[in-house]
Amino acid sequence: MKNELYQKLVDMYAGRELPAELEIEMNTAASNDPELDREMMTLRSTVDTLHTLDDPEFTEESYHRILMKLYARGAEIEPQVPASSHFQYHLPLQG
Amino acid sequence: MPNDAMRDSLAEKRWLTALSQGDPQALGGLYEMYGERIFRYTFRMLGNRTDAEDATAETFLRVLRRSAELRADGAFRTWLFRIARNLCIDKMRQHKLMELPSDAHYSGSEERAALRVTVQQALADLPMEYREPLVLCDLEDMAAREAAEILKISVPALKSRLYRGRRALRDKLGGTLERTS
Repeated sequence: MKNELYQKLVDMYAGRELPAELEIEMNTAASNDPELDREMMTLRSTVDTLHTLDDPEFTEESYHRILMKLYARGAEIEPQVPASSHFQYHLPLQG
Repeated sequence: MPNDAMRDSLAEKRWLTALSQGDPQALGGLYEMYGERIFRYTFRMLGNRTDAEDATAETFLRVLRRSAELRADGAFRTWLFRIARNLCIDKMRQHKLMELPSDAHYSGSEERAALRVTVQQALADLPMEYREPLVLCDLEDMAAREAAEILKISVPALKSRLYRGRRALRDKLGGTLERTS
């Protein structure tokens, strides 16, 4: 990195926080500076990956397990999503 | 304010007022509103479904216990995330002592799942001061101001940590992103 200002601009470029004109100027500067180009691309790719990473799945099982933990600790709470049948009945297994 | 945000804000106000008046159904309303977001956040911080479920349940229990202090002044979400954050920090301390493995399981294609696990592991290896801004701003898409309030730091300090965190994560991921892009 050439200096602190460049670094700050690269950080903002990576987060897509720069105004359009400055972004164009950064791209122009990068076309003549392979080190800057690599810095800009790898950092933006990191941010883009984070933004497009799938969310952890909040499954129906997790939803109901959390509710059960709340009940077990004395909270009165009414689920707005009805529990699946396997959450409603706990029958003993018979061999 | 967009319609959805206004509707959420009114619903939040209604549930908070009900909870402070002792209505037992109100916690269910708040869980419907924020349960998934708190679960996602705690999962990303802890990398483990069981711990994330525990932390989410404990977050809402603390809301219930402190319902008399609640005010519908727009700061509830920040307060809720702060509670979840403190619980995550406690759990991470326990993990450090017990060296529990993480369990970053997601659905999706094999390649994307592998990338997610790699990123999750790289995030878990980052110092806390870098990981937290990345989770809040880049994964939870939270505005810098709100993330700064949750972490009890200034916006410039948050941005500084966020930028350094992104660089640290990039360095940890090495060539992974180039291979997958």
